[in-house]
Amino acid sequence: MSQIIDPTVVPLRDPTVLERAGGGVRALGRFLRSKPLGGSGLILVALFIIVAILASIIERHDPDQIFETPNPDYKANPSTLELARNPDIGSPVLVSQFEEPNTDHWFGTDKFGRDIWSQVIHGSRLSLIVGLGASVIAVVGGLIIGMISAYYAGIVDLLIQRIVDMLQAIPFLVLVLVFTQITERSVLNVVLWLGVAGLAITTRLIRSAVLGVRESEFVLAARVVGASDLRIMIRHVLPNCVAVLIIAFSIGIGAYILAEASISFLGAGPQGIPSWGQMVQAGRGSLDLHPWQTVFAGGAIMMIVLGFNLLGDALRDVLDPRLRGA
Amino acid sequence: MQGYIIRRIIGAVFVVFLVGTFSFFAIRVLPGDFATASLGLDAGSADADTIAQRKADLGLDLPIGEQYANWLWDTVRLDLGTSFLTQNTVWYEIGRSLPYSIELGVLIMIVGFTVAIPVGLISAIFQDKPLDYSLRGLAILALAAPVFWTAAIASLVVLQWDLFLIDVIGQPHLWEDPGRAITWYLIPMFAGGFAGTATTMRLLRSQMLEVLRQDYVRTARAKGLRESVVIMRHALRNALLPVLTVMGVTIATIVGSQVILENMFNIPGIGNKVLTSLFARDNPVFQSVVLIIAVFTVLTNLVVDILYGIIDPRIRLS
Repeated sequence: MSQIIDPTVVPLRDPTVLERAGGGVRALGRFLRSKPLGGSGLILVALFIIVAILASIIERHDPDQIFETPNPDYKANPSTLELARNPDIGSPVLVSQFEEPNTDHWFGTDKFGRDIWSQVIHGSRLSLIVGLGASVIAVVGGLIIGMISAYYAGIVDLLIQRIVDMLQAIPFLVLVLVFTQITERSVLNVVLWLGVAGLAITTRLIRSAVLGVRESEFVLAARVVGASDLRIMIRHVLPNCVAVLIIAFSIGIGAYILAEASISFLGAGPQGIPSWGQMVQAGRGSLDLHPWQTVFAGGAIMMIVLGFNLLGDALRDVLDPRLRGA
Repeated sequence: MQGYIIRRIIGAVFVVFLVGTFSFFAIRVLPGDFATASLGLDAGSADADTIAQRKADLGLDLPIGEQYANWLWDTVRLDLGTSFLTQNTVWYEIGRSLPYSIELGVLIMIVGFTVAIPVGLISAIFQDKPLDYSLRGLAILALAAPVFWTAAIASLVVLQWDLFLIDVIGQPHLWEDPGRAITWYLIPMFAGGFAGTATTMRLLRSQMLEVLRQDYVRTARAKGLRESVVIMRHALRNALLPVLTVMGVTIATIVGSQVILENMFNIPGIGNKVLTSLFARDNPVFQSVVLIIAVFTVLTNLVVDILYGIIDPRIRLS
């Protein structure tokens, strides 16, 4: 590889973050001990990630497979009268719908005789993709817009801030519903639009962080030396905002997962992939007699959001105690 | 102070204008329109003339710039137009649905605050005690549970033990038939209150912890005041202020969960209107309903900011 290494380019890292990452396993152990809630969040998240990756191995059944049981009343060539009394009499097997949780179907079966356990397992993929993907988009976009807004101040800042105000005056769910309708509702598009809808919050958070850094002496010093705006932003402002970026990334994930679950619940979510929100809705049709699908799918949403929220809270406390309770 | 108020009002009006513009273009950018959708299954076989005629009837054939100018002029004169779907004026639709949403919204807030304030208070007083941990755990769970799931589980409990009738016929208002209306609102109001105010509780707790360490609280204690007086009169009052400043955000969150709850429990409120008008591409209703929601949020923020400016002079100077 003929790579030219510029000796003046130092890897961008926040010294505080570096210090914590340096210990590796020991740092992780310290985190788990000092932040038991954050630690349990981390374990929950790790569990869901493992489940999502190994979904095809631990599924037990194909999530789309329809289970059948032999029909005890089966009769070949039934008469019209018998058919009228029992419409199922002519078929040798019956769909085993609404089975209670048992040793074969741990979470029971749904209305169409499919295994709920496998569906819930596979649903974790969508939630993880949506949560992590949307948060990455929101943070990267918010970083760019927030930096421009804070650094250039004046009319640009004013305009961006009013647009952020506008986006925050519309309920997040409505915003997401509108955005996701614009394009075909593939997983990728939904992730993208969720990230765009989240821009308002990340932009505001990052902007205030940049504003704080901008006033510090080392930025002034860099400007006196004659560094360009771009250089100041990338070399001096950005590394000092890493903590806020990590916080913005981690505390948003739960909200995006909930938003996706909500639009799926309303029937406007991503298509062609098992979704927990959609399953909660599907199970609601027979809630009083067969609540299992709703109970387990909704419980899964709560657990994954809980994991990310606990982890995000702990990370925020560790990285920036001033933002506690924000 | 006057200058500050005027600046804030101008800012608020501009934000409302931006929201209106956003919702105007958003509903038109979406694929499909009411003219084509209203033909239903015939849309495929309908000739271009019929569709064009329908579009002309609805004013959808005009250039987008002209439509926007018309909308702006009409909205400024408070003429919101006529619903494509029901042929009623949008004001009539809003007048019919807004009371339901306000009822539910106020009930959600009452539940939320009557839970959040004592819980936040107790949690702060018993900091790091088992009680504090369990209450905080509950708040974290409330924040993580999707509102539609909490509502579904609550309905399940009600159905299992036959506590009361969920399906209320006739969509009664609280002032018309309080008994039946309250059973109708009971589940959504508790589900919404549970979800909407976990943030309030956490914020109140952290504010209380901060305030309780202040010198004036120590002074109050040193004077020999009873602990209840110190907490209620000296600490809680100061800790509540920051909680009230996020009212705008709280309201936006509550409206968001109302969209789902109204849909689940067939409450014909504003949240339900957002959904039906969005999916039916009923442009006039959608634009107006989003605008109304935005006016509510922005107005709350404005009032809170101005009150805060009056109380705390540092704010209005910055």
